[in-house]
Amino acid sequence: MSRCATLLLALTVTSPLYAQVIRVAEPDTIPDRPETIAFGPLDFSVPDGDAYRHQLSNGVVVYVAEDHTLPLVSLTATLKIGSYLESDEHVGLAGFTGSLIRSGGTERLAPRDFDEQVEFLAASLSSSGGDTTASAGVRSITPVFEESLALFFDMLRHPRFDPERLEVEKGNTLEAMRQRNDDADAILGREWSWLLYGNDYYGSRRMRKQNLDAITRQDLQAFHARYWRPENMIVSVSGDVDTPTILATLERGLADWPGDGDSNRWPPPESMHVVVPGVYHVEKDIPQGKVLIGHLVPQWTDWSNPDRAALQVMNHILGGSGFTSRIMKRVRSDEGLAYSAGSSFSFDPFQPGTFTVSFQSKNETVALAAKISLEEVRRIQEELVSDEELEIAKGSLIQTFPQRFDSAGQIASTFAYDAFIGRSHEYWQLWRPQVEAVTADDVRRVAQQHLKPDEVVLLLVGKWDEIAKGDSDGRATMADFFGGAVTHLPPRDPLTLEPHAGS
Amino acid sequence: MTAMTPRRLLLALALFEGLAATVYGQTAKVPVQSFELANGMTFLAVQRPELTTVTAGWVAHVGSSNERPGITGISHFFEHMMFKGTKKIGTTNSRRDLEIIDEQETIQTQIRAIYEQQRERFRLGEIEDPYAPDARPPELVTLQTRFDALVAEQRALMVKDEFDKIYTSEGASGMNAFTSQDVTVYFITVPANKLELWFWMESDRLLHPVFREFYSERDVVHEERRLRTESTPTGKFEELFDAMFWQSHPYTWPVVGWPSDLQVLSLAQARTYFDTYYAPNNVTAALVGNFELDAVKELAERYFGRLERRPEPPDVVTLEMEQTAEKEMRASCDCQPQVELRYHTVPFRHRDSYALDVLAGLLNGQSGRLYTSLVLDQGIASDAGAFQDSKKWAGAFSLQAEAKGDSTPERLQQALVAELVKLRDEPIPTRELQKVKNQITASAYQRLASGFYLLLQLLVYDGLGDWQYINEWADRTLAVTVEDVKRVAAEYFDLDRRAVAFYQRNVASAEVQP
Repeated sequence: MSRCATLLLALTVTSPLYAQVIRVAEPDTIPDRPETIAFGPLDFSVPDGDAYRHQLSNGVVVYVAEDHTLPLVSLTATLKIGSYLESDEHVGLAGFTGSLIRSGGTERLAPRDFDEQVEFLAASLSSSGGDTTASAGVRSITPVFEESLALFFDMLRHPRFDPERLEVEKGNTLEAMRQRNDDADAILGREWSWLLYGNDYYGSRRMRKQNLDAITRQDLQAFHARYWRPENMIVSVSGDVDTPTILATLERGLADWPGDGDSNRWPPPESMHVVVPGVYHVEKDIPQGKVLIGHLVPQWTDWSNPDRAALQVMNHILGGSGFTSRIMKRVRSDEGLAYSAGSSFSFDPFQPGTFTVSFQSKNETVALAAKISLEEVRRIQEELVSDEELEIAKGSLIQTFPQRFDSAGQIASTFAYDAFIGRSHEYWQLWRPQVEAVTADDVRRVAQQHLKPDEVVLLLVGKWDEIAKGDSDGRATMADFFGGAVTHLPPRDPLTLEPHAGS
Repeated sequence: MTAMTPRRLLLALALFEGLAATVYGQTAKVPVQSFELANGMTFLAVQRPELTTVTAGWVAHVGSSNERPGITGISHFFEHMMFKGTKKIGTTNSRRDLEIIDEQETIQTQIRAIYEQQRERFRLGEIEDPYAPDARPPELVTLQTRFDALVAEQRALMVKDEFDKIYTSEGASGMNAFTSQDVTVYFITVPANKLELWFWMESDRLLHPVFREFYSERDVVHEERRLRTESTPTGKFEELFDAMFWQSHPYTWPVVGWPSDLQVLSLAQARTYFDTYYAPNNVTAALVGNFELDAVKELAERYFGRLERRPEPPDVVTLEMEQTAEKEMRASCDCQPQVELRYHTVPFRHRDSYALDVLAGLLNGQSGRLYTSLVLDQGIASDAGAFQDSKKWAGAFSLQAEAKGDSTPERLQQALVAELVKLRDEPIPTRELQKVKNQITASAYQRLASGFYLLLQLLVYDGLGDWQYINEWADRTLAVTVEDVKRVAAEYFDLDRRAVAFYQRNVASAEVQP
């Protein structure tokens, strides 16, 4: 402590007078423990998704959730299209089409004029393309929403794909590709998706320079014309709108755009990749190893199956709930080995999901943290979780549930996502009773059924010589996993993604 | 609608131009209700009856700028310690728990004495790292073993991470905190019916904190430093650039602290720090959500009224020296070639900060000057941006650009400077200024949309000097004129006040480029 501050501590301070006099409290009205506070009930009921659902004459489903608290409106069009529709030579086309719809101007307005008008309205217009979804959106303050929406429709239906802007985007993408090996987390994510799904699966393959060079304006126009269509589209609107008015506006804007046929080969194809468990490593000169441990889990399409709730409770206890979870408690809190450590279990409607343990630790303690994490995975398969853990996990999941519907934007997007994956809105009514019904036996059963600690992929990015020998106290080394076998993945050229010559 | 003609669009825009500042007769204002307890603790409340939650938090008016060499990083480290529990939360035997902590500290004091000798050996070149595990003398290993035994004993009495556990089981979520150079902010969201839980927990950790697991948490902070600073492409160099840019001001050291300081922080230092800065009169709380104001007032008085006012903490007196020469840093990293130009400007709420915000607005955006010039016209950058960073005690204006193709950081520097010169010397079109002002009008609404983001703004602005900034910023920024922008462009952007960071892709990485 500085001398200056110590001296100040000795000074006395005179209390100023306050306009507002507050009565002095009775100290004995403070409960001894937080558990003894008496709480009233929470006023909440699950909203009915069907009440927000509408359909335009051309078949487009629209969810509208009004909220007049602030003069703000947001509209998003989500499309059931994506990179799964690309041919092998056109990898990256879905994403490129998505971003050029926004940045490439419209038939009527050159890109610069379009950008200027959008920014003059202080609106936000966006578009993007992903693996199984593409989206376009508009947000603005209410007084200019009609004008912003006109620009949005113009963009959505009549994109220019300006050739100069295409070249700018290609150049920017090339620079982004050059950075593929700069950040350890980027390498980790890429190799992880390849190990689990293969490097030619639509969800994990990456654009290479030859794909970038091959993309033409005609490709973008064709992808847009073929797939960015009303029959693939779900719209959600939230904020300061009047439902009949916005529906009439959407009807006018989209009525002459008929939705017909099934242009998009929905649902996307499944991965055929065969995962090979083991230790995999990519060399990177950083003082901290980045680690992912896990395996595939079944694709999830039966949303009434109560095992979904048991799996969520299981993961909450194992590694999904921060400090309260077992992995965080042991790896971070007990041992100080990592800043963040935890697990996730994903329910993917279109492809196998993943169970993943993730952490980062100084190279020397990577093996120890991995060993502890896998001990916890095995333990939740072998021992019943305690009643206390079960109650905390269920209490947390059930009581945080209302937040999912705490804004108009969340209500509209949650129900629109149901429509997107073909899930009944009834799902949300069942959610809390299903969590409430989960038992310790259920948790162990689903852990035994779905977790495979002996068949994991253990991926490390960091300095192998430091990682391999383990911690200075000799508690763990990489020889503790798969008999010490390791596959050293080659460094890859960031543009072609081919292994470097000589490696 | 899709057949909308250009004529219709123009009409709409013209309308907006006239209405921009006064869409609703005035700019967006947050209805904040504030009150102060007798002990000096301030409360800010924003009611949002449509929510099922209350998002609540508090700011301690302290950050790394209140530190000094030797204890750098203590603000952030201390933030971690505030989650370790209280006399009642976190142990089954409070008396023995406190005894163990004292015994642990006795050992750590002896360890620090050995570290003093280790630093001497390091200065003489006898060892390479005073803190390396393999350089430990035998007496240090013995002390460490005794310390570990005390940790084991304490752990047997502990209820691990009970602070988090209680909140989690009651449906609270998003518990976290952050530390900056100027503020330390703690926040969480609780179900609306469990508002009293927040008052219980937060007042308890301000009244009776127990800094358990001090030394294992120090390892976590080391990992956080490795994560954010040492294992990212540019983290180490950003730290170096900050240290270079700020000469005399405490902003010169990183928020996470120098590793050698972290290594010897003591519990006694943490306690002194808490007593100095975590007084109710140095803390402001805020709540956004579904509650009755009378209930909040009653709970605030009942729970936080127990805290005793303490002497006002010391002011930060060191002013940044006037910069007398241009500074340059040249770094090689696993990164795209890029440049940052940074100029000394003004702190939070300085009268020129609003014009500097407008100036940044002219430069930014898809239709802004930097993107238009560097990315579209010249094709030398893949991205470019600028911002005024108004900290509590001083401020800086940064311009950044990432190189594209054959371009170089030096070329980007010239192009960025050219844009500043243009702003200073050439007329600024009325419509361009109006565009920036329209964005200010809209963002004054947009930033109120999320209750959590609103809470953070209130707490951070309060920590920087005055939460009322949230309701003053739009009006003061809309009042900025072309002349104001040109004046600040002339006043703040000269070579002597500038530091430039050039980043080149390092040789090892360049080799693997085609």
